[in-house]
Amino acid sequence: MRITNNMLINNMMLSLSNNLSRTQKYQYQLASGKKIRLPSDDPIVASKSLKLRTDVSEIQQFKRNTDDAISWMDITESTMRQMTEIVHRMREITNQAANGTNTAEDLEKIKAEAEQLRNQLIDLGNATYAGRYIFSGFKTDKPLLDASGNFNIDISNSEQIKFEIGIGDDINVNVTGSDLFNGGTDAASGEKSKLVDVFDRVIVAMGSDDKSQLGSLLADIDEQIDNLLRVESGLGARMNRVELTANRLDDDLVSFTNLMSKNEDVDMAEAIMNLQNEANVYMASLATSAKVIQPSLVDFLK
Amino acid sequence: MNNTTYMGMEIALRGLYSAQRGMANVAHNVDNVNTPGYSRQVLDQRAARPLLVANSAGMLGMGSDVVSVDRMRDTFLDEKYWSEAQYLGEWEVKAFIIEEMQTIYNEPSDNGYTKIISDFYSALQTLSTDPSSLSVRAMVKEKGIAIAKYFNSVASHFDHLQEDLNNMVHAKVEEINSLADQIKELNLQIYNYEVMGNKANDLRDRRDYLVDKLSRLINCNAYEVETGLKLPNGEPEKRFVVTISGKALVDHADVVHLKCESRKQKLNFEDIENLFEVSWADGNKISIKSGELKAYLDMRDGNDGLVGLNGEKSPNCRGIPYYQRKMNEFVQVFARTFNEGIIDVDGDGVLDKINGHVDGYTITSQPGDPPCGIRFFTMLGDDGKPLSSADFEAMLLDYAAKNGITDDPSTDYDERILAGYSLLTARNFSISFDIEDDPSNNIAASDKPGEPGNNENLKTLMGMRHNPYMFMEGMPEDFIKTLISSMGVDGQQYVQSYEIQKAILNQVDNRRQSVSGVSLNEEMVNLVKYQQIYGAAAKMIQTYSEVLDILINRLGV
Repeated sequence: MRITNNMLINNMMLSLSNNLSRTQKYQYQLASGKKIRLPSDDPIVASKSLKLRTDVSEIQQFKRNTDDAISWMDITESTMRQMTEIVHRMREITNQAANGTNTAEDLEKIKAEAEQLRNQLIDLGNATYAGRYIFSGFKTDKPLLDASGNFNIDISNSEQIKFEIGIGDDINVNVTGSDLFNGGTDAASGEKSKLVDVFDRVIVAMGSDDKSQLGSLLADIDEQIDNLLRVESGLGARMNRVELTANRLDDDLVSFTNLMSKNEDVDMAEAIMNLQNEANVYMASLATSAKVIQPSLVDFLK
Repeated sequence: MNNTTYMGMEIALRGLYSAQRGMANVAHNVDNVNTPGYSRQVLDQRAARPLLVANSAGMLGMGSDVVSVDRMRDTFLDEKYWSEAQYLGEWEVKAFIIEEMQTIYNEPSDNGYTKIISDFYSALQTLSTDPSSLSVRAMVKEKGIAIAKYFNSVASHFDHLQEDLNNMVHAKVEEINSLADQIKELNLQIYNYEVMGNKANDLRDRRDYLVDKLSRLINCNAYEVETGLKLPNGEPEKRFVVTISGKALVDHADVVHLKCESRKQKLNFEDIENLFEVSWADGNKISIKSGELKAYLDMRDGNDGLVGLNGEKSPNCRGIPYYQRKMNEFVQVFARTFNEGIIDVDGDGVLDKINGHVDGYTITSQPGDPPCGIRFFTMLGDDGKPLSSADFEAMLLDYAAKNGITDDPSTDYDERILAGYSLLTARNFSISFDIEDDPSNNIAASDKPGEPGNNENLKTLMGMRHNPYMFMEGMPEDFIKTLISSMGVDGQQYVQSYEIQKAILNQVDNRRQSVSGVSLNEEMVNLVKYQQIYGAAAKMIQTYSEVLDILINRLGV
């Protein structure tokens, strides 16, 4: 085949431009840390990367949701622990008042304490988390109980506030006032809370020093303690689940971020090596081109 | 007749002339080493007509003669080049345009669609953990706006790109017309030279070079046809013809231009107004099969072969209208699902009605109130401001009525609303005025009135994100993922085809260069050769001169 000067130049230009475009690719990879710049560079990596980004962002959101759930439940739990203490203390002083050895003055003191406990209990029933009443079900803008221990709102056990902590995985974060203050039955607005009612009856019995009545009320208090324990253990179990989920989400986040990085991040060592390789080829082709293109017979005719 | 005294000198003189012509030819070739389209020229040098010697001693050589100057050209390779160049032009342009389209979507990145839709759902999730929080509600509103703006911006980028491509179509048609005119001029010049029996080498090179350029723009064939007549020198008369899909663009001295006319009826619903329709200037329809012009038309009009508004099929290519249509489909389904809760929940292919944003309750609703009826997403009105939910509803129902779906018992409310959603496009997608105006109240998180802590409606809305039947392609993310990967695959194919075509064309061009290119070595060898011959011929003259000196001066007559 006849080889002409322009053929050499064309071929050289083509090889140089191919080489430069590869160099540019590796240079981009190193500069951005990503394998691809456009979906057309590798459609599979691109589509995987879209999926993984969605997954990672969802996991992050679920993690935030579990954090919110945990703090809501922490508040609920500590409020309920105080309630349990109050009810236990009520049982103690009721027991004390049911004894025959109290002076009138003692009884007065006991009664005053019982009233304090009752008010504290109502206050706890209206506990808030970030401005929201935690026991009011969906009506988080309204307090659960009024000063006399009547329900301020309609409240039903079905008013469960649920947070999503996984795809299709809900967790009920709240304890409804009806479950806690009404022995587990739904209540309408104006109805008397069963728990406060027991306290009220104790206080009345203390006022009239009705020892037998106080004795029989102990059973009612026990019943309320059992109810509290039931709700508390339910909440505990749910908190356990949230914490397990939170741990799993932490693991998921690490492994999905890892997957995402494996999918779209560039292997630096490889990219540097490739770039170096291309640079060598480029230098070599420049050097040979310079040698081949320049001289012709023209240079030797003197 | 016997030898004449000066015959030898005459022969030597011819040698001088031939060598001079040869050197001039070398100079011409060397000068044009880098002229695009130039093919090297060689001398057709023959022995001059010999002299018949009377004494039957045979023929007497009369030196050399340059009969003609020919260009070295292989027309087979030219035709090969022209038939391959059209695909190079097509793939190069397509690869370039789809790159631009991919940057419009800006995926994969941290600020593309995926990020925006994830942010929106994250905001909803955050709201579901605190449904009465005003700051989170404001955030949901902002993220909703971000989605709408994203689609508006992608759609308007596509519009601009379509306009650019339309201008390119016009520019390319102008370029084709101008090339056709130039070829016609050259045809006349070449004909005028050659009718006298000359060879218009350089003009022919120029003409072939113009066809090289034309062949990148559009599928074309170029060839010479014999007219059947004879030129004065006995050669058959030839005329040069350039055709596009069988119809002549240039036929010797006649040119039929192409023209661009604004379409009166849009081809695709998604198109911008006044796109150019390319046709022959004489009114005939043109069939464009490849080349840059085809690439611009395909990407401008390509709607995956869908039959357009004017009854014609759009190019079988995924161009701008295709992606606009998909984006429109996305916003329609997304808004309809989110607003109305009309969605296929069980995968039976029939739309079901679950709770949507309209079925929720606002934060200030009182027990006994009806559902809010507020649509989260609406569209931009004529004044560019978001429509309120009520105005939007009226528009949807009005649209349904205009399309024959009226308020009678056979078509329920949902069916009419559903029909109206085809008004929504990526260009006019927006959040509703109600949400923009008062997100604190109007985002309907609750599924019961008077329950500010109730997040049940939000949870239904968020659940739609994971509904695999929302689109034919699956969930919202799957939809866009499919769109972007199909664009990626197309782009990859265009780039690969372009690379392949580049290699093919380079190979053909190299073969052409091998035949037609100027080799400096060769020219230098010729130069030395002609120089030597010139010297030798001059020497001959000197020798004859000496011989004559002997004859005339020394014989002492």
